[in-house]
Amino acid sequence: MALQSFFYDEQIRRFLLQFTRIFSNFQVEYGRNDSGQPTYTRVPIRYGDSSKQASVIMADNSANKIPNSPLMTFHITSLDYARDRMQEPNFVDKKVFRQRTWDDETQTYEQTQGNAFTVERLMPVPYNLTIALDIWTTNTTMKLQILEQVLTLFNPSLEIQSTDNYVDWTSLSVVELSNTTWSSRGIPMGQDTSIDISTLTFSLPIWISPPARVTKMGAVHKIIASVFDANGDAKEALVNDDLLLGTRQKITPFGYQAVLIGNQLQLLEHNQVESNEETLDPAQGQPSSIFWKSLVDVYGELRAGITQIRLTIPGTTSEVVGTVAYHPSDDHYLLFTVDEDTVPTNTLTAVTAVIDPLTSGPGDGLAAATSGQRYLLLNAIGDADNTDASDAWGSLVASKNDIIEYDGTNWAVSTDASATSTTQYVTNLTTSVQFKWDGTTWTKSYQGLYEGGEWSLVL
Amino acid sequence: MPRLSLYRPNKTNDYRFLDNTIREMYTVGGMDMYVHKYLGPKTVGDSADRDTGDATRPVYDESNPLFIEDVLFLENRDREYDDSIYIMRGVYNAQDIDFDLTQFGLFLNGDTVFVTFHYNDMIDTLGRKLMAGDVIEFPNLKDYHPLDTSGPKALPRYYVVQDASFDANGFSQTWLPHLWRVKLTPLTASQEYNDILNKPMDEDNPGAGTIEDFVSQKKKNLEINDTILQQAEVEVPSSGYDNTGFYVVPTKNDKPINHEDVADGDSTETPGVSSQADGYLVGYLTGNNIPPNGKPVTSGVAFPGSPAEGDYALRLDYFPNRLFRYDGARWVKVEDGVRTDLTPGSDNKTQRSGFVNNSETITTTDRGNISSRQSLSDLLKPTKDN
Repeated sequence: MALQSFFYDEQIRRFLLQFTRIFSNFQVEYGRNDSGQPTYTRVPIRYGDSSKQASVIMADNSANKIPNSPLMTFHITSLDYARDRMQEPNFVDKKVFRQRTWDDETQTYEQTQGNAFTVERLMPVPYNLTIALDIWTTNTTMKLQILEQVLTLFNPSLEIQSTDNYVDWTSLSVVELSNTTWSSRGIPMGQDTSIDISTLTFSLPIWISPPARVTKMGAVHKIIASVFDANGDAKEALVNDDLLLGTRQKITPFGYQAVLIGNQLQLLEHNQVESNEETLDPAQGQPSSIFWKSLVDVYGELRAGITQIRLTIPGTTSEVVGTVAYHPSDDHYLLFTVDEDTVPTNTLTAVTAVIDPLTSGPGDGLAAATSGQRYLLLNAIGDADNTDASDAWGSLVASKNDIIEYDGTNWAVSTDASATSTTQYVTNLTTSVQFKWDGTTWTKSYQGLYEGGEWSLVL
Repeated sequence: MPRLSLYRPNKTNDYRFLDNTIREMYTVGGMDMYVHKYLGPKTVGDSADRDTGDATRPVYDESNPLFIEDVLFLENRDREYDDSIYIMRGVYNAQDIDFDLTQFGLFLNGDTVFVTFHYNDMIDTLGRKLMAGDVIEFPNLKDYHPLDTSGPKALPRYYVVQDASFDANGFSQTWLPHLWRVKLTPLTASQEYNDILNKPMDEDNPGAGTIEDFVSQKKKNLEINDTILQQAEVEVPSSGYDNTGFYVVPTKNDKPINHEDVADGDSTETPGVSSQADGYLVGYLTGNNIPPNGKPVTSGVAFPGSPAEGDYALRLDYFPNRLFRYDGARWVKVEDGVRTDLTPGSDNKTQRSGFVNNSETITTTDRGNISSRQSLSDLLKPTKDN
C-alpha cells in the first residue's frame, strides 16, 4: 500500500516565530547608573512549553542558575476549527504567475521573463489559534511598564504575517487581544515567590493549507469561444472535437498570423496577409514590426530546441510540428526545425524543380538533361499534332501541372495531373518546399501562411 | 524565700550563660553563610537628577532600610546592598529538591530553606536583624561542575530572605529567645538584586562578565530571543508581500509590445516599452518602490530632466516614497513604497515606530531642542532647564 506523501510547511511554527517578533525588544527601567540616570534592560521572550532537557541545558544543569525577570513566555492554549469562517472546502483558486529569470551566478533576478507557472491553491482550513503570553515581573512598576507598551499595540489587534510570499494567501492574520489576567498572585500578596505573572491571551484566526499544485503554464492552444453546440448542449460541445470546425472558434492571441518561409517563421498582424500566395515559390517575408520575443514573453520562456510550434494544415486536422529557436540576428523570425515525422509523406518522387517549359529548357536556363531529372510544369508544352520536335523538350507533349521525367533519351510525362484525382505530395529539391496536389491545383503543402487559430505555441 | 523561677524579665547571667552556650554550639556546628546586607533604596548620582517631582516616589540622599522607594505600590525596586560581605554561622536542614518544569524552564520545587542564626551573634555582626530582602549565599552549595565549563570555576547559590522571626526552638529556660529564623527562597535575577548581580564575577577580570551573566538565565534567554528574531526577519523581511521575483509583461497602448516607431529587423529592446504598473501583482502592501521587472530607476527629490518614455523615477521627498513612470507626456504614479522593515530601527516606517520609536527633536526659540516624542501627560509642559 502506498504511503501518503509527507508534507509539513511549518505553518503554525512560522506564526509563532512572528508572534515572538511582535513582543521582542521591549525594555523596562532597570535601576540607575552611577550618575543617577535610569538604565534599561531588554525583556527577552521565548516559548514557554520547553522540553525538560532543553530547560536543564539552559540552566547549565545546575540548581544554582537562577531565573531572570522581566521575561515573557508564551504557549499555545488551544487550536480550534473555526466553523464560522468555513468556506467552500473544494474551491480551487487558480492563478498564473510569470517569474523573472534567475541568475544563479549573481543570485539576482534579471529583467527578463523566466518560467511561467499556473498555481492552483485549494481552499485552506480555518482555525483559531489561542496563545497565552505570560509576563513575568518582580514588581508592579515593572509590570505596568511592560503592559503599557504592549497594550497600546492592540486596539484590538495587530497584523501578523507568517511569510511575505505573494502567492501565500494564508500568511496574513491578526493577533487579537482577547483576555487579560492581571496577576497570578492572590491578593493580598502572601506567598513567598517574588515573581508575579500577568497573562495576556491572544486569538489568531489562521488558515492551514495543503500544498499548492504548480504546473508549467502552457500556451493558449485554442480558445473555445462558443461552447454550446446547435442544440445548446455544452457537455457534448466540449468533448466532441468534430465540432471544432463547426460552431467553435479557434483564436490565436491577438489574431496574429504566422508565415512559414523555408525554415523560418514570421509573425504578422491579424489579417495582414489575406491568403496564401498562389505560387509554388517559397513564401516571402512581409513587412512587420512584431517581434516573436515580445509575444512569447507573454506566455513564458522559449527554450531553443524544446519549444514547439504546431501548424494545422488548412482544411485538415493534421499538424506539422517543429521545434523553434530565436533567430540569432532578427527577432522577427523564429528558426523552425520541422519534425519530419509530422510532414505529409511524399507520394511521388521528388522533382528537380518547378519550371515554366516555355521560358527555359535543358541547357537553356536549366541544367543539361540527365537521366532521372524531373520537373513540375507550370505551363503546357508540345502539341500532339506537331511533328517538329522542339530542341529543348523533343517530342514531349505535357500539360500544365504535369510532372515530366527524362529517361536518358527522351522526356516523358511521369504524372499526368489531369488523370490524377487523389491527393499527392511531392517535394521540390531546389527549394525543399513540399507541394500538395488536390486534384485541381498544386499548392504548398505546409509552407506559407497560417491564420490565427491555425498555429499554436507550446512552451 | 524567693520563688523558684528561671524566668527573669531582664537578661541575667542565666540568659548570658545559655546564650554563650548556644553561640558556641552554632560556632562549632553551624556553617558560614555570606550575607549581602540590604541598605535601603539605592542613592546614586545627584538626587536632583533622580527627582521626578512625584511625591509618591521620594528622593533620598542616603541609604536607609527604613525608606520605601515607591509609597504607592509599596515596593523597593532599586535596592542598595552593602559591598561588604557579612559572614555568619547558621544552621539549616538540608533537603532534597526537585526540578520542576515550568515556563521558566527550571524551578527548584520545594527549595525553601529555613536557617537559624544566633541572635546576638547576628546583631553583633550585621548590626541589625536579618530582614526580608537580605541576600544570603550558601558557600557549601557552590556548583563546581556546571554544564558550561567556559564560565567561572563555580556557580554560587543565592537565596533571599522572605520572612524572619524568632525561632520557636530558640527559646531557653529563661523564656528569652536566642535564635533568629529566616525563610529563604532562591534569588531571582531581577532589578531588585541588580546591585549584587551587576558586580563582576571575577574582580581581577571585570571584563569577563558580571555575576548575572553567569548565574542568571537572562543571557541565554536573550540569545534564544535573538536567534528567533533572526529567523523571523528572514521569513518576513518587510511588511506586506514581495512581488519582485515576478515578471510583468511590458505594455504600451494596452498591447504587450510596441508596434510603432520600430524599424523592421530591429530586434533590440524597444525604447519606451516598460510596464505601466505592477499589473496582476498589485495587492495589499506590495508597493516596494522597485520598478516592474527590476528596471532601472532614478531616485531623487525631483524628476530627472529629459526623460525617455518608459523611464522610472523614485521621488524620495514623498512619504512614503513614490514611484513614477514617464509615459512620454507626464509622470504617472506607479506605486507608493509601503513595505517597511518590521524590526525597530530607522528603516521601520510603521505607525508604531513613528510614534514610539521616534527620536526626532524639534528646535524651539526659547526651550532649545525638545523631543518630538512626548507623553500626553507631560505634553508641551515647560521643563526645567538643567
